[in-house]
Amino acid sequence: MTEKHQIPIRVPVLARVEGEGTLELRVRNGAIEELRLRIFEPPRMFEKLLEGRDYTEIPDMVARICGICPVAYQMSAVQAIENLFGVEPGPWVRDMRRVFYCGEWIQSHSLHIHMLAAPDFLGYASITEMARDHAHEVRRGLRLQALGNEIIRLLGARSVHPVGARIGGFHHAPARAQVDALREKLQAALPEAETLVRWTAALNLPTEEQEFTAVSLRHPREYPMNEGRMVSNRGLDISADRFESRFVEHQEMHSTALHCLHDGKPYLVGPLARLNLNLDRLPAPVRSLADSLGIKFPSRNMYHSIVARALEIVVAMREAIRLLEVYAEPSAPYISVTPRAGTGYGCTEAPRGLLWHRYDANAAGVVIKARIVPPTSQNQARMEEDLRTSLQSLGVRQGEAVLRRRGEMVIRNYDPCISCATHFLDLRVRELTHA
Amino acid sequence: MPDRVHIIGVGSPFGDDRLGWVAAESLQRSSVLNSLEPGRIAISIMDRPGAMLLALWDEADHVILMDGVRSGAVPGTRHRLTAGDVTDTCIPATSHGFGIAAALQLAQVLENLPNRLLLRGIEMDVCCTGFTLSAAVTAAMPHFVREIEEETLALAGAIHPFRSKTASESSFFAR
Repeated sequence: MTEKHQIPIRVPVLARVEGEGTLELRVRNGAIEELRLRIFEPPRMFEKLLEGRDYTEIPDMVARICGICPVAYQMSAVQAIENLFGVEPGPWVRDMRRVFYCGEWIQSHSLHIHMLAAPDFLGYASITEMARDHAHEVRRGLRLQALGNEIIRLLGARSVHPVGARIGGFHHAPARAQVDALREKLQAALPEAETLVRWTAALNLPTEEQEFTAVSLRHPREYPMNEGRMVSNRGLDISADRFESRFVEHQEMHSTALHCLHDGKPYLVGPLARLNLNLDRLPAPVRSLADSLGIKFPSRNMYHSIVARALEIVVAMREAIRLLEVYAEPSAPYISVTPRAGTGYGCTEAPRGLLWHRYDANAAGVVIKARIVPPTSQNQARMEEDLRTSLQSLGVRQGEAVLRRRGEMVIRNYDPCISCATHFLDLRVRELTHA
Repeated sequence: MPDRVHIIGVGSPFGDDRLGWVAAESLQRSSVLNSLEPGRIAISIMDRPGAMLLALWDEADHVILMDGVRSGAVPGTRHRLTAGDVTDTCIPATSHGFGIAAALQLAQVLENLPNRLLLRGIEMDVCCTGFTLSAAVTAAMPHFVREIEEETLALAGAIHPFRSKTASESSFFAR
């Protein structure tokens, strides 16, 4: 005979996650039988909205997908459309796009570390609570985030939904004096970012290790950001146009966010995946810093994601400084392009991981079909896999408060950006036992 | 050194939520404010800046935040509050939900409030959709902008302190 106990556990707010969802557990005899992270994100139909639009409109439209990582959407889109038209904007545009992206990594990672993740590891419910005891660290986080925003403004005119990017380059080139002033600020703040790395490494992080497939871009010389081949720790090595042959999105009934699988299995994208696969692409001072932390990278501890984010802030600051040091105002900040019919692919590293775009256009450059695969869709199956492992390892009889807290911490660790709605997690545990 | 005032219009493009932007745009064209010496007044238009509000007002002595208000008052009612009036203790769930009240709480904890911080708003018409202001807010806007001009001059030390006699002093701020 089977006795059913339904124990509804209400979590009033899944704080510090950009999305709305429910975590449902079905437990039988102390083991997790079923686990579902239900995402309620309303379908936004963005890909459909892009159909029929002129190629010139696409960068500004896709920037509206996310208020935290609009640069990533713009950079994957411009790369895909330039790939479609067969144009190469040249070294100035390439360098400034990398600087632009550095700004987004700095602001997004700083925000996640301080506002979303750190309170977990220090035992606070929010950044405001944490600030009472860790004001210095919170101020440092806000300063770094503001610096990232300033870089985005330099090239994008504003930090949220920037409008500076266009197919072929940028609408505007900043003045040398403006660039120099910002570079000096970045240089002055670099020691703070390095201190941040050591601070994250010293946090009391859980030590559980897991097996997972990591996927990221890899570039012949640089730490990956705007370009590279897609690689994994299981031997994947493909260009962006082959993505659909190895990665398939599907709809799960319990979630409005698509699940993307790599060769039929969950995988990880984001800072820890990037770092694990590109340690030899870190600038030498950042590699030394990483080696000094007492953490063995590549790491299988998902909680080292916060350290990877902090290291990537230093990477981005150093890259921005390096590129702005040799800045020269160009004769034109963009190249002209001539539309042509075809299909183009773009893949860049958003703060949260791979962001893949595909556009089909007609001879006038009007988009016929668009497809966008964001990092959160790619990480969703991995999040469920991690939740199952972590909660089972913790012990499902720990009680609702402990389960809920650990579940939230696991989800937050991926920095999922699910929607721009109010965000609630309703954890429901259904326990089945044999009499 | 004369006091610096930062006027910040907060909102989004939608309906009456854009009123902070519209007011900021009017103030950018204000001959009264433009006649002050350069550097005294800064005017920003922000789309839900969250915790970055703290960085925005870092270099200002005084700040005026302008935003839409929902308090149950008649649409078009003008509101005037100070930082101490904000009693919303709801801890923000996310960076997306990190609004003005949360930013003020964080600023208080970090002791990062400007010398004077005023919250100025107009009661929104919740039925107003699209990309234009409601009739009630449109009608209230000229008086609202004039009040803020005078308030800015007072804060900047250009005239004696101004206090609106007509603006409501609700203790609830929408954001």
